[in-house]
Order: sequence, then structure tokens, then C-alpha cells
Amino acid sequence: MAPRRPDGSCVGREASAYGKCTLAVRPTARPVVFGRGLGYAAPEFVRSKPSGASLPVNLSATSLLDRRLLMFTGKGGVGKTTLVAALACEAARRGRRPLIVELGHRASMEAVFEVDRIGYEPRDVGRGVHAMNLDFESALAEYFEEHIPVKRVARTVIRNKTLQKFFHAAPSVSEVATLNKLSALEAERSPTGGVRWDPIFVDLDATGHAIMLLNLPSVMEGLIGDGPMRRLVDGFSSLLTDPRRTILNLVTLPLELPAQETVELYQRLRKHHDVELGVLFVNQVPSRPLGPAQAGMLDRLEYRAQKVGISTLVDDVAIARRAMRYHVNARSQINRMQRDIDMPMVELHNVASRVLDLDTVAHIGEATFDLLDSGQQRESTNVGVAPRR
Amino acid sequence: MTGIDELLMRQRLLVAIGPGGVGKTTVSAAIALRAAELGRRTLVLTIDPAKRLADALGLTELEDRIRMVPTDELSKRGVEVKGELYAAMFDNAASMDSLMKRVAPDVETRDKVLRNRVYRAMAGTLARSHAYLAMERLHEVMHSGRYDLVILDTPPARNALDILDAPSRLATFLEEGVVKWFVPNAGNRGRGLRARLMQGSGAAATKLFEVVVGKELAGETIAFFEAFYGMREGFHMRASAIQGMLRARDTSFVLVSSADATHLADAEALAAGIKARGVRIDVAVFNRAYERLTHADPLAIVSSAGVLDSATTIRLLFGDELHRSERDTMSTLLSSLHMVRTEAAASNQRALESIRKLSQLLPSDALGLIIARLDGDIRDLPGLHALGPYLAATRSLPTA
Repeated sequence: MAPRRPDGSCVGREASAYGKCTLAVRPTARPVVFGRGLGYAAPEFVRSKPSGASLPVNLSATSLLDRRLLMFTGKGGVGKTTLVAALACEAARRGRRPLIVELGHRASMEAVFEVDRIGYEPRDVGRGVHAMNLDFESALAEYFEEHIPVKRVARTVIRNKTLQKFFHAAPSVSEVATLNKLSALEAERSPTGGVRWDPIFVDLDATGHAIMLLNLPSVMEGLIGDGPMRRLVDGFSSLLTDPRRTILNLVTLPLELPAQETVELYQRLRKHHDVELGVLFVNQVPSRPLGPAQAGMLDRLEYRAQKVGISTLVDDVAIARRAMRYHVNARSQINRMQRDIDMPMVELHNVASRVLDLDTVAHIGEATFDLLDSGQQRESTNVGVAPRR
Repeated sequence: MTGIDELLMRQRLLVAIGPGGVGKTTVSAAIALRAAELGRRTLVLTIDPAKRLADALGLTELEDRIRMVPTDELSKRGVEVKGELYAAMFDNAASMDSLMKRVAPDVETRDKVLRNRVYRAMAGTLARSHAYLAMERLHEVMHSGRYDLVILDTPPARNALDILDAPSRLATFLEEGVVKWFVPNAGNRGRGLRARLMQGSGAAATKLFEVVVGKELAGETIAFFEAFYGMREGFHMRASAIQGMLRARDTSFVLVSSADATHLADAEALAAGIKARGVRIDVAVFNRAYERLTHADPLAIVSSAGVLDSATTIRLLFGDELHRSERDTMSTLLSSLHMVRTEAAASNQRALESIRKLSQLLPSDALGLIIARLDGDIRDLPGLHALGPYLAATRSLPTA
């Protein structure tokens, strides 16, 4: 039974016009959205593995959620925050205890969950989700207090403004403090002995952030000898490169520049880093504005409209042509990413909505995970997956 | 409100700031071209390594060296460019080294810094240094006297405020900061590094630092700052000059944003941060902000779709000549077109609301420029020239 959305549209299989079999949730009666809208409506799952290939079990929603750290990266404005919030809501609905970790002083999650302040201490933000903001200063202070025997000395120096600047400017300090906190959160246990956070969603600040964290071990390589520091960095490294514990997901848009950056990031990650790669999320994918039969009559309509002199209709044809071009451009960026990036892809369709409320956000998470699960089932029965390319 | 032309004739420096992904580079290039058309010797600078500026100008590449942009493509089309257009893309790794060379008081200090492993690590990875270097190079260019107007496309950083903070941050850091604790002869009577390490807060700081990054790295970092400290005067002078330049009367900040919710949140934060630093935003550009719905006036932001009477329209257009099935398809097509138009109008309405909201955070006499979504990417000067009417348009920002 295909899951239903509140608007009645349905998650189901659909042969796409682009030579791939896709799973789609499409908004009903909304053929096109101009501009970027608010992003997110209907996720669409595209497998880019050849049919019959043995299935990596790491793709189902359950398997994704069994990782300890789910990291998300992508350039600003692609909708990472909303996506992370959506998936965390769904993780909670499925009985997990998710924690969202935002890096840097962004506080974007506050708006999504409509709460006043998310600080360094994880707090309940509703829907069974906890969130925290991992800011550098607090992480560094915590790190000092762990490692300096005399707490008073540690605190005095931490509070010193100039010293803070110093640690800000010194290389790798920020990454060490950040990874130290992430490791601690990963290791945290609840009173009953199980893990406290299950899983941890990490909303990375920008594209460069993931690389900086992953680069830490190699940057430190020539600079640190053996000793406690070495053991610490090795510990981070093994956490980040353990495919059972950490997985890195990419978020992008079907536009030229973001797509290009995503391909470059992917190539860099593949070439230089061992981190396990998860799902590529493509957000704000425009729907097809006109069907082929309708598009075929456009010329005729335009000709007559000009002849009779209905200028608004001439304008309408021009607008529709533009909408079709946006759609074609988006598809070509998506195809290019499918060609160059060997990761399963989830398309999130553009939606016109004034308010992206928490219900909608939670629904997006549900639909996305359902898609991942159904893609899994289809693959295992080897049905309807088109060959790559 | 008037278009940007008057500003282009009057100012010497425009600094474009804004969230990533809004087309800041393209807008900067279009503004530069407009200024050149008006007769100014204009230089547009970017430090975005993504080649966007070269693409927008129709060039295969841009490098650190400033080059003249040929405008023949425009002359061929009858567009007169009275001034000159120059462009460059600063290369930060090269810039950092050449900066060290310029600032270093002597060869020994210079080599010490350039060879230091911490410097090498920082020069490549420190995001903040980009902002500083851009300002540094900008200052140099402004004083060359070769350009009437310089347009700076700032780094695509989330926090563009760095360009205002970076110069003084580095100077303060060197001037009075903790560096003194680590540096011989920095404080009074030669109480240098080694001595200070053995006592008081300096020792605690060093120890802390060693805990965080390890002994070897700490040592190397301290050596780096020792060398760096010798350059503090050079840095300090440059920092004040740069701060003065950014706040001069003939400098304008241009906030570039789209009308999308995601970008507007960032743009709002930027506007507030700029204000808090005592800098005025003179121009706000909303790029790719609306869909052109009327051919007659592309500048008009139409935000209603009108009604559809497809039966009448079909009769008007085709009389009785369509078969029944054709008529059905045509009718479906007309309602699809209407739906597309309705959606576009609604999107324009949302854009207007967003623009109104952001405008309230800007000075009331700031210039508001709204650019429509144009077809495809801009890849040459004629494409940039097409943005001219939007930049020069005199129109009122929507008010509440």
C-alpha cells in the first residue's frame, strides 16, 4: 500500500521521461513553481546503480538510521537545515532518539522548530527531537576542562578574550574541539546503558566544512608526534571513516553552479577521503509544466494569438516556454549529477507554499524515508530499475 | 528612488556583499559594465575561484593580474562603451605570500614566516584570511590611481562581515594580543617567550595550547607568531588605512540578494551586521527576483493572473476550425498556461513581500534595484548589458 500524503497525492512508481524508473510523490494540481519557492514537497527516489547489481544494504532508512553520525553538507541556501529537521522528525516518529547538531552560530533550527533558543546543551525542540548548537568557544572550553587538571586555571584562560582570538587563529584547533564534542556525543550513554542519541544528525555549515573536518588527520600528520594528541586525532579519524558509524550525505540544487560544486566535492571526497557516502539529495526540483501533447500545440496557439492580437496570451506562451526551459535545465543538471556521482539520489520537488510549517517538514521526512525503504524493496526484487546511462 | 547611474558617476568603490548563490558576481560585472558604458575607467575584482566572473564577462579565464576586457562584442551591436573595463580574480595563496613579502621588515623575517609549517597550513586553509587579503589587495588597487571606480565582488562566505572585521582583527591580534606572551622582547624589558613560558598566565596559555594541538604544533605556531610579530606595524598601518577606505564617503556597500526565503534570512542578518558596524548600505539589488509576465513592460512586476475563459478564447482564436479532440487539447493547454501564469504571479507576489520586508531594514533613501529572472546564464557582455535597464530603472520599492 502506497503511503498517502495529506493532499491525497500518492507515493508510487512512475516511469519517468528520463530513462530511469523513479519513485515519486508529486504535488497534485501544481504543474510548476517559479523561482525557488520554499523547496521541498515531494521526494522522488532515483537509483543510479545498474539493475541486478547486488544491493548495498546501507541505503534503507533503517540502515541509515543505524549509523551513529549522519552528516549533511552542501552550500548555503540549498535547504540542508530543513532537510535535516525533516529526517530527524521522522527518525523520532520511528522510535529513535535523534539529536540535531548545528555547527557554528547559525541558529537556523530555531526557526524550523519555532523555539526561542538552541544553545550548546541539547534541548527538546518538540516531536521527539533534540537539538544543539555546537559553537567553537563552548566546545573548546569543554575540551580544556576535560584535559586540564586544574579547572580554575582552565576556566580563567578560557574566558580571556585575547586567548580566544588566539585559538581561533591557530590551525586545526576549531576542528579538534568540534570533533572532540562529536565523539563525546557519539559515546554518550543513557542511564539504562544504551546510547543516548540515536542517531546524531550533523548539519555542517558549508561545503568546505566537511572537508576541513576530514582533512584534520592529514593536516596534523606532519605536525604532531606520538602521544595523547596523536591518539585523539586517530580516534576522530577512525570514527569518521568507519562506514558503520559515520555516513556523509550531500544536499544540492538542480542548478548549474550548485551541481558543479557537488560534483567537485564528490570527486574530492572519493579521491582523498575514506568517509562513507550516503544519499545525494536534490532539492527544489521543478515539475514539468506542460505535457508533450500540450507543448506540441504551443506554436499554433502563439501564431494565432499574435494574429488575433491577444497579447496576454502571447505572454503566457512565453512564460510557459521559460518554465519549460527551467525544467529542462534542472533535468540536465540532475542527469549530469547522476552520471558523475555514484550515489543514490533523492529528488525533492519544488512546492509553492507560503509557510513551511513543522507538519509539512515532518511529512517530507516521512515521505523521504518511505521512499528509501521502497527503493530498497524494489531493488531486492529486481523490479523496474533501469540500467544506468 | 533613482537608478544606479548617478552613484556610478560619483563613487570610487562599490563593495558587493550578499549570501552565496544569488548571482553576486554577475551583478557586480553588470554594474561594472554599466559604469564603463557611462565613461568610467572601471575595475571589477573577484576572489571567488569558481570562474564566475570570467564566465560572465565572456572570457576563458581571469588571473591575478588585472586585464582589460575587450568590448568589441558590444560595439558591433551598436552599444557604445565610453570608458574602460578591467577585471581580475585574486589568487589568495599567491596573495598571502606576496603580502608577507611586502609587509616583512627584512628578508630574514620574511623567510622565517614563509618556511614555517604552520604558516603554510594556515595560508591554505584559513578562510578568514581570504577576507583580509581581498581588502589588502583592494587597498593597493585603489591607490594605484588607474581606475575611476572599483567594484569588489566579496567572497562567497556566509559571513561577509569578515571583510569589515578581518583587517582590524589581525592588527589587534598582533598589536596587543596574547602574542606578546609568546614573543621575545614584545613586552617590557625583554621578558621574552622562554621566560614567560615558565611563569604565570603565559605558561598556562602555552600549556593549554599544547593540550589542544600537541607540543610540536604548539612550538611551531609560537615560532610563527614570533616571526609574525615583527610585521605588526606594517599590518597595523594597513588595517587603519583599509578601515578608512571602507567607510569613506565615496565608498558604497551594495547588498545583493535574491527574493528567496533562504537567501533573505542571510541577507537580513548581513544588513543588521553591517549597520552595527557603522557602515551604510546604499544599494540593495534583488537578483532573479521575479518572473516577467508582460512583454510590453519587462520591468513590471505583475502579481495577479487574471481570469481564464478558454471557450471564448478558443472561439476567438480558431473560430470553428478545430476538431473536437484538438479543441480539448487546446482547452487543456490554455488551463495549463493559466496555471503556470497563476503560479508565476503568486511567486512574484511572494517576492514583493520579501523585498518589502528586507527594505525595511535598509536606510530609507537606499536604492532598490529589482532584476527579473532572465533566460539562461549570462556568458558575455551583451548578456550583462541586458541587465542595464534593470540597474538604471527608477522604480519605487513596494511599501507596506
